[in-house]
Amino acid sequence: MNVTLITNDAVRLDVACAEGQNIMAAAEAAGLYPPAMCHEGSCGLCAAHVLEGSYEMGPHNPQAIPTGPGGVLLCRCQPQGDVTVALPYADAQISRQQIPEREAVITGLKEVAAGTVALSLLLKSDPVMGQGAEFVPGQYMELSVPSLGVKRAYSLANLPNWEGHLEFLIRLVPGGAFTGWLSARAKVGDELMVRGPLGSFVLDEASPRPRVLVAGGCGMAPILSMLRHMGEFQDSTPVHLIYAANREQELLPDSELETLRAALPQLGVTLAVWHPQPGWFGFTGTAADALEAYLIGTALVPDIYVCGPPRMLESIEAVALDKAVPETQLYAERLPH
Amino acid sequence: MFCFQCEQTAHVNGQAGCASTKGVCGKDETTADLQDLLIYQLKGIGQLSERLRALGKPDQAADSFTLYALFTTLTNVNFNRAVFTGLIAEAARIRDRLRDALAAAGGDVSGLSAAVSFQPATDLPGLLAQANIASVRAGLDLVGEDVIGLRALILYGLKGVAAYAHHAEVLGEARDEIYAGVAHALAFLATDPDDINALLAEALALGRLNFTVMEVLDAANTGRFGAPVPTQVLTTPVAGKAILVSGHDLRDLHNILEATKDKGINVYTHGEMLPAHGYPKLHAYPHLVGNYGTAWQNQQQEFAAFPGPIVMTSNCLIEPQPAYRNRIFTAGPVGWPGIRHIQNDDYAQVIQAAQAMPGFAEAAPAKTIQVGFARETVLGAAETVINAVKSGDIRHFFLIGGCDGAAPGRNYYTDFADHAPKDTMLLTLGCGKYRFNMHDHGEVAGLPRLLDVGQCNDTYSAIQIATALANAFGCGVNDLPLTLVVSWFEQKAAAVLLTLLALGVRNVRLGPSLPAFLTPTLLNVLVEKFGVQPITTAEADIQAALTRQAA
Repeated sequence: MNVTLITNDAVRLDVACAEGQNIMAAAEAAGLYPPAMCHEGSCGLCAAHVLEGSYEMGPHNPQAIPTGPGGVLLCRCQPQGDVTVALPYADAQISRQQIPEREAVITGLKEVAAGTVALSLLLKSDPVMGQGAEFVPGQYMELSVPSLGVKRAYSLANLPNWEGHLEFLIRLVPGGAFTGWLSARAKVGDELMVRGPLGSFVLDEASPRPRVLVAGGCGMAPILSMLRHMGEFQDSTPVHLIYAANREQELLPDSELETLRAALPQLGVTLAVWHPQPGWFGFTGTAADALEAYLIGTALVPDIYVCGPPRMLESIEAVALDKAVPETQLYAERLPH
Repeated sequence: MFCFQCEQTAHVNGQAGCASTKGVCGKDETTADLQDLLIYQLKGIGQLSERLRALGKPDQAADSFTLYALFTTLTNVNFNRAVFTGLIAEAARIRDRLRDALAAAGGDVSGLSAAVSFQPATDLPGLLAQANIASVRAGLDLVGEDVIGLRALILYGLKGVAAYAHHAEVLGEARDEIYAGVAHALAFLATDPDDINALLAEALALGRLNFTVMEVLDAANTGRFGAPVPTQVLTTPVAGKAILVSGHDLRDLHNILEATKDKGINVYTHGEMLPAHGYPKLHAYPHLVGNYGTAWQNQQQEFAAFPGPIVMTSNCLIEPQPAYRNRIFTAGPVGWPGIRHIQNDDYAQVIQAAQAMPGFAEAAPAKTIQVGFARETVLGAAETVINAVKSGDIRHFFLIGGCDGAAPGRNYYTDFADHAPKDTMLLTLGCGKYRFNMHDHGEVAGLPRLLDVGQCNDTYSAIQIATALANAFGCGVNDLPLTLVVSWFEQKAAAVLLTLLALGVRNVRLGPSLPAFLTPTLLNVLVEKFGVQPITTAEADIQAALTRQAA
């Protein structure tokens, strides 16, 4: 059977698919690595739409299926004949190499906001990858502790670098297998496995439009990386940050924002707190409320980049729809929790 | 957006030109429109420069800016709209300076074009709203396709001229004649010329100017790095840390070699940088170890597989893939949004990347190709060549030169080189050579049958070879047993074509497809007046060339 993958920049990729094989496995066997994480029908990262041909879906999380006719997950979609599939990303987002898995050592672990730790890792030198930490700002890594047998995906907060540093912002989840280990047992010098970079939540740097970056809680990590990247490149694109949390203690300290402002003079910031203490000077409300207020006051429809928990994403999408922001101008990354 | 400056331009519903939100090359609408505006401003600057020069008050900074700015707009050079908003603002400042200087010198300020008084908007939406006046097709309904096509031919040829002149300039070789010629061509375009004969005359004048520019570039390259000599180049990797240098700029390569000296890093050339190995003063660096990969259109796969950083020194850049975005660097006029750019020849980050990356773990079984057959070498063997022609050992010369590209029709050049009879000699230049330069073409008259003359930038060398042979035989270049088989892709090839036409070189085979800006009428002029021939099939064209010679 033949599977034709069509990227959103109209590149056609043909891969052979065996009986009973899913499209993701067929693509990877052909040396193509579309964005994917769980490979078991639950994370929703490999969502796509079948345009033509019949298929069967293996066991999967119905909530991970994208809306619209032909919505599938590549890792669970078994063609029953030739199929044509529309992918929601560009050809350049399809990796042609095996995604690297490397060893790393914890070099820092500290609480930076209520319930949030900053985890710093240093990659070990690798015969194939060398020493550097290569990724595109906005991407994430899959962390695993071999002795725990759990894997978790976290977005990178720092910039790619040749020393091999990785920085993450991680919300501690009560009873969480990974974050429990992180808060109770992990210490500097411990080793982790790091698989990545992964993901297609990256800036469209060719876009002429202004940008609004919306971060909810630890969703600030990839947004921080993007803003730092813009600062490093002296990108003069108008940019506004909406940084939201339930309580002000959950926000990163002001010094972080001051550093960003120094690098990006045009940066506008809305700090949105849903349930603030008396005396809060910032915006009171959710990220979606803050976005709505921002869009009312702006003439040009911006590109919107949003990273946060699922419910926040839903309300942001509703605001974007209400304000007639084209679907192609909304870039979203869902936090796992 | 409307752009039809290169060979791969879109053809939709019989209409040539990239006219949607993104060109085939990856240049987006915003960047394309900003480039149009910059060109429009440069026409105004050209007009002012020409008048100032007539008063004996040239502004060399403005002249250099013009070359650099034109170079940024070539195909596959700069895709970064932020660069263009900056250049547009700078162009406005330079224009103001020239206008003030002209007025202060008591010069004639009447009859200047609208481009001279153009005020660029201060924000991006404003600039994009202004872009219509600057389109290459502006005025189409008034003057028709032929005039638009000829203006485009001159503008694109001028871009090629500027690129060559900039390469020479960074090596310290400049001539006022060149600055004056570039200003003149821009000033001519600023008047929105619509007389076909005047346009053709200017196109040929530009071709002559380009001959001078290529001569100066040749002097810059050979003066700085020595005349190329035949050199075996390793095309397989050796073990160790590695940097890949692509593009055409020999000065950048030299600076990288200096910066990486004694650091245990090997430097490889890519694409059009291959001929650099033939220059004695570059070859002398022991860590310039070989060439990696092929022509520009294969870079996404080749760069992704290269285990070190990559420096793109001039055209031809295409969209960097995530797999190597962090380790590709641009230099000089090149740019892509979100890709690191080398400032002030500071290669520290490139070296850091090379040291952090694994490099090649082991050497591959060695393979080599030979380069360095520029004019001095070939003319040094002139006696052998002339005797071989007289004895019939060499029946014909084919110069297969120009750019490579992704179009399937470019197999023509492979077929041509492979099917040319064994008693013909093949000369090549440009990256089109990668279509056949790894094949074994054997020897003729005791010389290699395939002689690599150099980059596309080295056409001067090829013309000097042809001219010297013609002198030796006491005939004209057109009477030599020589056929030029030119593959064009972008604007430097347009400049070279104008030079060949200006020199009266006839019977140039041009392909793989003809420039979209040449209308049927203009093409007819090229065919009738200059003997330009579109390619057909390799076998038929070889046959026709050999038959012409026999006849």
